[in-house]
Amino acid sequence: MLTLALNNLTRRRLRTALTLLGVAVSVGVLACLLAFGRGYEAGLGRELNNMGIQMMLVPLGCPYDAAARVLKGKTLDVSLPAESVKTVRKDSAVAIAAPMLMATLPRPSEGRTDLWVGVDESVRPLKPWWKMKEGSRWFPDANSVILGAEAAHAELREVGDTFFSPETGRKFTVCGVLERSGTSDDSQFFAPLATAQAMFHQPDRITAVAIRLKDPTLIGDASTRLQEVKGAQVVTMAEMMGTFLNLVGSVRTLVFAITVLALCISGLSVFNTMLSAVLERTRELGVLRAVGASRGQVFRLLAIEALLLTTIGSALGIVLALLAGRFVEMGVRLFVPLAPSETLLVLSREVIQQCFAVGIIVGLGAGLYPAWQASRLQPVEAIRVD
Amino acid sequence: MQTLVSAQELTKVYNRGVEEVRALDGVTFDLQKGDFVAITGASGAGKTTLLHLLGCMDIPTSGELLMNGQSTRGLSDSALTRMRREQVGFVFQHFGLLPTLTVMENMTLPALFSKRDAKESAKELLEKVGMTHRRNHRPNQLSGGEMQRVAIARALINCPQILLADEPTGNLDSVNGEAILQLFHQLNRDGLTIIVVTHNPTLANATQRQLVLRDGRLVP
Repeated sequence: MLTLALNNLTRRRLRTALTLLGVAVSVGVLACLLAFGRGYEAGLGRELNNMGIQMMLVPLGCPYDAAARVLKGKTLDVSLPAESVKTVRKDSAVAIAAPMLMATLPRPSEGRTDLWVGVDESVRPLKPWWKMKEGSRWFPDANSVILGAEAAHAELREVGDTFFSPETGRKFTVCGVLERSGTSDDSQFFAPLATAQAMFHQPDRITAVAIRLKDPTLIGDASTRLQEVKGAQVVTMAEMMGTFLNLVGSVRTLVFAITVLALCISGLSVFNTMLSAVLERTRELGVLRAVGASRGQVFRLLAIEALLLTTIGSALGIVLALLAGRFVEMGVRLFVPLAPSETLLVLSREVIQQCFAVGIIVGLGAGLYPAWQASRLQPVEAIRVD
Repeated sequence: MQTLVSAQELTKVYNRGVEEVRALDGVTFDLQKGDFVAITGASGAGKTTLLHLLGCMDIPTSGELLMNGQSTRGLSDSALTRMRREQVGFVFQHFGLLPTLTVMENMTLPALFSKRDAKESAKELLEKVGMTHRRNHRPNQLSGGEMQRVAIARALINCPQILLADEPTGNLDSVNGEAILQLFHQLNRDGLTIIVVTHNPTLANATQRQLVLRDGRLVP
């Protein structure tokens, strides 16, 4: 029966191929969508957890945008007074308060713009993924710099090298080089906070304060108290994650609706293919009935054909998702806020099973009516058709 | 002699729009086991309709058909399917072979629907119809005569009691037509009951008995 069904599908190769393509594309999109949802949520959660930051103090404005920009190593147009760090550190619930100043340094001669981040030692526990190359050490003096892996590669610098920065008129010594982490830190230049403030003419200003609490359960009270810091606002990581997931969730809902539409269209395509097959093969189906096929057997034959179409289509869709996933991820990264550094598309066994299940349900739904029609054919009427 | 088929006042009426067509009108006859019978008559006389009734592919409007003593009246679709599968072998004028299947696969289709292994009997039948060398070919690689021999072998795969053939030589040249006739004679000598609908006088005259239909009635 399977051979018979498979052979029937190869009769109209172009039509079968187009139907398979329709199913494959819609299942592929569904697979990417499901895989992205899981990957993004898990990745974002892990990344925020790894930082060990419960909240951030950012300048007034959109707190989520500000926090996301700081976390991803982008500059802000507004800043906080450096005094605010002291206020934060005084709070009894705060374990670590790490000030950061972020600024860009255009390098016209190199055709690029460098991102400098002024930090002090309090930032180190908040960057657990930092691994220094051999010989590296923390800033020994004001003119020391720690380079991210890509920044060191671009500058062709090693630990111990010195270089002159004509844009700032300063001479720096590379006291450390970070190993590649896959985060935005890779391309950044880290300098002592005071040096960065002087370089960029931002005395006593900072971009944000990353905060770790002694006890995460104190977040409610701490957040309320720190909202009082003048010119600043607090955003918790839980709020950030919730906001980002909601935002991404809205987009996912839209894409999901389009995917459902695509699945419906591919289901209609399977329906059309199967119904055409029944009409084209009316006489042949009559012959099958005449030589002893029962209604159930004819029904099964057509149902198997529909299932084969959608199962093969679903398998192709999964392969498509695996092949195109990397490119989809590159595109998605441009649009999602705070994309985690790890992979966003996680094609787990569960996702693959779900996609196959959807494909099979679509196949069955689309194939049932044509199969029922075929099973209702009376042999004598079918044979009479010319 | 054992009566295999008993038709009693068989009538079949079709509705073609508002027109009522009486394809068969009170046809009565008996066939014995081992008969080789031709059903003849002009086009539209009701030959194929009668063959379809005998093949359990259609049910009479009135009258009764007894196959091996069992009435087909009131039988469910699945019971009629079982009769087609187990008691009757059908040969079509247009051969009715599936183009996507090989000779062997086409032959064993009825056995597939009966859920029984027919490899051995298929080999024997292929040899009997002289098609062993073509077992893996597809219908489009066969001549008309070869396709008809495969169709006959397929009709015999479930060891039916009756072979029904609708114009079996209608699409064949005289040489192949003669070969099919010889095959029918051989099968009939082996004890198979054969009923053919034909316009071919050579084939009709070669049978033991002719049922002549005119306007849906048997000519006495």
